[in-house]
Amino acid sequence: MVHRTAKPFFKPSRPCAELTLGHRSLYIIPSRFGALWIAAAGVLLLVAIQTGSNSTLLLAFVMLGLMVLAMFLTHDTLQGLTLRCDQPAPTFAAEPADYPLQLESSSARPRCSLRVQGHGVVVCDRLTPGTTPLSLPWFAENRGWQLPPPVQIETIAPLGLFICWGRWQPEQPQLIWPRRQQGPVAELQPPRLRDGLEEWQDLRPVREGERPALVDWASAARGRPLQAKVFNDPEEPDVILAPASGVPLEAAREHLADRIWRLHHSGACYGLQIQSISLAPSKGVRHRDACLEALATV
Amino acid sequence: MSHQRHASSLAWWALVPLGLQCIALNGSAPLTWPTWALVLCALFKLRECRRPFDRRLVALLQLLSTGLLAAQLQGLWASVLQLVAVLLALAGLLGHELAGALTFRGFLQRSLQLLAAALPLALVLFLFVPRLPPLWTTELGPSRGAVSGLSPDLDPLSIAELTLVDGSAARVLVPEGQTLPMDAYWRVLVHEQFDGRRWQHRDPPVPRSGSGRPQVGEGASQWWVVEPSATRAVPWDGSALPTSPDQWITPEGELLVGAASRQRRSFRLQSNQRVAAWQQRPPVPSERQAPPESLPRLKALARQFRRLPTGRERLEAVENWFRRQSFRYSLQPGAVKDLDAFLFDQQEGFCGHYASALAALMRAADVPARVVSGYQGGHVVQPISGNRYLELRQSDAHAWVEVWLKGEGWQRVDPTLWATTTTMGLPAAAVAAESGQRQEGNVPWWRWLQWQWWGLDLAWTRWWLSFDQSSQQAWLQMLFGAQLRWLGATVVVSGFVAVAGGWLLLRMGIRPRSPLVQSLRLLTRLGAVPLQGESFLRLCRRAAQMHPDRATLLEAMADQQQLLAHAPLTSAQRRHHLRQWRKIRSRLRRRR
Repeated sequence: MVHRTAKPFFKPSRPCAELTLGHRSLYIIPSRFGALWIAAAGVLLLVAIQTGSNSTLLLAFVMLGLMVLAMFLTHDTLQGLTLRCDQPAPTFAAEPADYPLQLESSSARPRCSLRVQGHGVVVCDRLTPGTTPLSLPWFAENRGWQLPPPVQIETIAPLGLFICWGRWQPEQPQLIWPRRQQGPVAELQPPRLRDGLEEWQDLRPVREGERPALVDWASAARGRPLQAKVFNDPEEPDVILAPASGVPLEAAREHLADRIWRLHHSGACYGLQIQSISLAPSKGVRHRDACLEALATV
Repeated sequence: MSHQRHASSLAWWALVPLGLQCIALNGSAPLTWPTWALVLCALFKLRECRRPFDRRLVALLQLLSTGLLAAQLQGLWASVLQLVAVLLALAGLLGHELAGALTFRGFLQRSLQLLAAALPLALVLFLFVPRLPPLWTTELGPSRGAVSGLSPDLDPLSIAELTLVDGSAARVLVPEGQTLPMDAYWRVLVHEQFDGRRWQHRDPPVPRSGSGRPQVGEGASQWWVVEPSATRAVPWDGSALPTSPDQWITPEGELLVGAASRQRRSFRLQSNQRVAAWQQRPPVPSERQAPPESLPRLKALARQFRRLPTGRERLEAVENWFRRQSFRYSLQPGAVKDLDAFLFDQQEGFCGHYASALAALMRAADVPARVVSGYQGGHVVQPISGNRYLELRQSDAHAWVEVWLKGEGWQRVDPTLWATTTTMGLPAAAVAAESGQRQEGNVPWWRWLQWQWWGLDLAWTRWWLSFDQSSQQAWLQMLFGAQLRWLGATVVVSGFVAVAGGWLLLRMGIRPRSPLVQSLRLLTRLGAVPLQGESFLRLCRRAAQMHPDRATLLEAMADQQQLLAHAPLTSAQRRHHLRQWRKIRSRLRRRR
């Protein structure tokens, strides 16, 4: 199932959140093995004519009959299957990304394979009734909200005589952060904020024995789980990252993305200033994602 | 991985019936080598295959070799093995794509379902699509090879001791009510070229397109199964008519069939009461050629007969001369120098000696003559499974003479019957018909079993293999009469119906029957698709929220499902709950 021969010469439908595969979205042609099968049936037919053998003639016709039936069976493998978008996680440009999907089927189905056009194949050995989550690998070259290339689903089951495929353009875009690349970044000193319990930077799950003063009671009152506030270390130097002067903006974004990623992993506190967007120094996953999204979309 | 092992073991098992049939092939037949090559290719490919495409290719090679084997081995046993090979090859093919979904037995069942689904279309094509005659005529039979039976060269003088081989030569079945001729002469080869010692058979030219005119008439059918032999000619009664274009009768009166001679041949003939054309064909020069001068005594004797005016009188005179001599029938005549020695000194031999001597004597007496070899007599077998049939064995092989009598055509004369006594004092005629007198009471068990199997084999031949081009024409004629132009439309319409039937059959067969799967399908139709990790009970409750009017039924279905899946039930209780579950399911369906 890894190497398919069907070329995606049919354009997918307009982007949509889900697609139920049917007669209008599935295409089918004989596979290379199917062509060999027909040739073998032809040879048997010739042998049967020359020798007058009934058994050979019947076998040749049975092979032809199987070929015809295989067309319907292969089509049935995909028909009625629903492909649905899931919420994709952001990822860096030019790095492997996973595009999540849900396959919904009312019955068990034999093997099929999916891929984002031009990217790696994911094989589903057997689809069980119900919903099956799936992640398709791909990578994006450009930053921003990106739609992956069309998704292609195909199968040759059960006999391998036909290739049946469908193409779908999911409408859910995936946020692609700028490519990570080391390089110069301007570091600005932020105005010093006063310390205190109000200037917390992030939230984390409450640990046992946590001081009640650190608990974010306001959000707990709104029905969210108990979380503790994370404060800046007053001793820790804050820094605001900005594009280095003299560096083209796109390259600067890539340098900033790399620096933000590394600062996040080192636990540092950082802010971002790029074009009209300014994010105050902070730390945590939410802050990192906000910074990277700003880099990707502004 | 276990599913790969399943697929692989199915493919290996498919090689067993193929290998068994390969052993039975004759190495000198042209189709044999391609068949062996294909089976070996499948074997090595299966051993070395790494990619799924290779595995599928193995299945295709197996099917192709089965087809070639079917063209060469058409008996019942071979057909059973071919069916098994096709089933296993298909199961192996399914195994690659339905990986892990089925067990070994499941693959075989699915393979059987596939075959059953493809069969309607195959039968429509098989029955309705007009058969083509062979596109070109080839000598598919080998020219050499060691197969017992009649030989194109008849040289009885070189045989000091004739051993009777008891192998089967042919079997013939006639419709119920027809009499099996036990004393008939079944002609095979005509030997018309005589060099003073040997009688040689001249290979007739192979017609480009067979007889071209298969007979569709009133006569009763004869179904023949002829074992492999060294000759292309097959036994027949000399008057029956061919029924397919690949059968033709030579001007000498030999029946040739298109199939290779080194394989078992099955064919149908049509009985005919009229005089055959070959009987009236005037003799060719080779049939008049006088014996060489190396036989002075024979020629001197023949000069006496030449004085008589007609061929009939000369024949009667020769018969009288034979009967006056003390000829003895013997299977161990010892070496005979030449025909002079046989006729005037030893006067002891078997049918070949008598036929050879009479034919030479008649030619020397200026009466065209030739030697015919074939079978005489036969043995009637009554199998448990069906109609009586006549079995001809190699030991029934016989030689006789045909002489040309003006106004009468070619007439059969059996000089072996003129021998007065055997070396053991038995009447010669009794020895000549020795094979027809076997006693059923002394039959060994294995022979009895063989007869029964051959009975089934003949029935198979009669009902399946005999559906040839002429049978198909007769059947289409009977079905359509003058409306044969509707045949194309009939093939198309029946083809569509057959495909639809096969597809439905497959869908019904593939559909899982477990209550859980059926319930899930029903719930999906109601819009409740199971979520990841959702239990059946929760799913039913969710469906009940979506369809409050069916909440009770959905709850009940969940209960029954739980019981069927998890409760330790007796068979009766299980049946009861299954009934309950079916009732609920049908009520849910009705309310949709």
